[in-house]
Amino acid sequence: MQAWRNLGATVQYLIVAAVAVLMAFPFYWMATSALKTNDEIWQFPPTFWPHEPLWHNFREAWVAAPFAQYMFNSIFVAATIVLIQVFNSGMMAYALTHMKFRLKGIFAAAILIGYMIPSTAVYLPGYVILGKLQLLDSYAGLILSNCVSVFSIFLIRQAFLQISHEMIEAGRIDGASHSRILWTILLPLTRSSFAVLALITFIEQYNNYFWPMLITKDPNLQLVSAGLRSFFVEGGAYGLKWPLIMAASAFTIAPLLVLFVLTQKTIIRSVNLTAGSSKG
Amino acid sequence: MARKKFAEDGKALLFTLPAMVPLTLFWFFPLGYVVYLSFVEWDFMSPTKLFVGFDNYRGLFSDPAFYQSLRVSILFCLGSVLPIIAVGLALAMLLTRKMPGGALYRTLIFSPWVTPTVAVSIVWSWIYEPEVGLANSALNAIGLDGIRWLEDPNWALVGILLVTIWKSAGWSMIFYLVAIRNVPTDLMEAAGLDGAGSWRKFVHVTLPLISPTTFFLFIVQMVQALQAYDQINVLTQGGPAGSTRTLLYLYYQSAFDSFQIGQASAVAITLIIGCVLLSVFSAIVGRNAVHYS
Repeated sequence: MQAWRNLGATVQYLIVAAVAVLMAFPFYWMATSALKTNDEIWQFPPTFWPHEPLWHNFREAWVAAPFAQYMFNSIFVAATIVLIQVFNSGMMAYALTHMKFRLKGIFAAAILIGYMIPSTAVYLPGYVILGKLQLLDSYAGLILSNCVSVFSIFLIRQAFLQISHEMIEAGRIDGASHSRILWTILLPLTRSSFAVLALITFIEQYNNYFWPMLITKDPNLQLVSAGLRSFFVEGGAYGLKWPLIMAASAFTIAPLLVLFVLTQKTIIRSVNLTAGSSKG
Repeated sequence: MARKKFAEDGKALLFTLPAMVPLTLFWFFPLGYVVYLSFVEWDFMSPTKLFVGFDNYRGLFSDPAFYQSLRVSILFCLGSVLPIIAVGLALAMLLTRKMPGGALYRTLIFSPWVTPTVAVSIVWSWIYEPEVGLANSALNAIGLDGIRWLEDPNWALVGILLVTIWKSAGWSMIFYLVAIRNVPTDLMEAAGLDGAGSWRKFVHVTLPLISPTTFFLFIVQMVQALQAYDQINVLTQGGPAGSTRTLLYLYYQSAFDSFQIGQASAVAITLIIGCVLLSVFSAIVGRNAVHYS
C-alpha cells in the first residue's frame, strides 16, 4: 500500500516536472536561438545549445531598430497609466462605497455595463473620436484613452467594502476631509489591492498592442509590441534573420519575466482578489 | 439642510469625475456612436455619412464571410476555453500536494501569462517553422510527418489555439489552486470515511465546491477568446483562406483595410450582443447551477 502510494507520488511528480519544463521550453528555445549563427539555426536536426554562442546578437538586434525608444514608450505610458488609475479608481471606489449622492445607482450600473462590453468592439468609434479630439499619434492619446479601467474600479471598490463604516465616520467626526480619509486611512489599509492594480495594469499596458497600434502611425511612438512586430515583418525580413528576431523577442519579454519573479506573490494574490470581485 | 445635501452631492460627483469623464468619452460615447455608425454608409474620408437603415446588417447576414468567421469564432472560443479550464484544473490537482520544487514548477507554468502576446507569438512562429522548427522536429523524432502549421487551413487554427492555451492554462491553474485550498478538509475526511476513493471525492466533493471558479474562468476566458487579436495578427493575419479569421478580425479588416465603416460597425454590434447574451446566460446559470458556499 505504502509502496503504491510512493509510486503514485513519484509519477505525479514526474508529470508536473515534465509539464513545467515543456511550458518554459519556448523561452529556452528563444534564448538559445538568439545565440545561434544564421547557418546553425537552419540546421536539421536543431541543436539544443549553440556551438558558439554569439552574445553580440543581442547588441546587434538592439540597434537594428529603435528598441530603446520602444521600450521607453512602453514603460513611460504604462507607468503613467498606473498612476492615473490609482488616482481615479481610488476616488471612484470611495464615492461608490463611502459617499451618498444622487446618480450613485446609475453610475454603479454604468460601470457594471462597462464590465460586460468587450473593449475591442469600440475600437473603431474610439478611433474616430480620438481623431476628432486631435489625439491620434500622441502620448496624450495613448495615455488618456487607457487611463480608466472598469476592472481597477471594481478591484478597489471590493477592497473598500471590507473597511468598516465606523472607521470612516470616526474620521469624519474628527474633521478629516474625504480626500484625507481616502489617501491617508483607506489607501494604507488596502495597499495590497492597490499593489495588484498597479502590477496588473502595468503588465497589461506594457504588453498592449492592438489599440496603441491603431492610434499611432509615428514609429517613434510605437510601444514595444508594435515595434517588435514591425521589426519582425520589415527589419527581420520575415524569417531571414531569425537569431536577431529571437534576440529582440528576448529583451522584450525579459523585463516582464524579471518583474514577475520579483512580484510573484502579489500577482498570485491578485487571483484571490479577482475571484472575489467577480462575486460582488 | 437642502443646501448641505446639495454640497454633499457636489463633493461626491467631484470624486467620480476623474473616472467618469474618460469613461464617458472613450467607452460610453463610442458605444452609442458605433450603434449609429452601423446604420450608415461611410468610408472614413467622405464628409457625409449616408443613412442606410438596416442595409449593413442585411449585407452582413447574407455574406458567407460573416458565417465563416462566426464559425471560426465559435471554434476558437470552445477550442481555447475548454482546454484552458481542463488543463488548469488538472495541473492544479497535481500541484496541490506538497512536493519538492512545487513553487518553482508553479512559477514556470504561470510565467507565459505575464509575457507580451506579440513577442511570444513571434517565438511560436519560429517553433512552427515547417522545415527546421521545433514542432516539426519533435514530430519527426517520433516518426510522424511534419505539418505546415500556419499555412495549412486545417492546422492554422490549431496552431493559434496551442499558443493561446499555452499562455493561459497557468493562469487558470492559479485560480484552481486557490479554490482547491479552500475546500474544507473535514468534508474530504468525511467523504473518505464513507469509503469514497480519490476519484469519487474529486467528482462529488471538490468539483461542486470549486464550481464558482470554473464558472468565473469560463466567462472571463470566453470574453477573452472573443477578443483575441494579437496572436492571430502575428501568426496568420486571419489566413490561410480565412481559416483563422474570427469575428473580431473580420471587424478589424472591414474597418481598417477596406474602410467599410458601416459594415464593420454591424460586426461590432454582433460581437457586443454576443457578449451581453453571454453575461445574461452567466447570470442565469450563476443563480441556478453554481454552488456558492
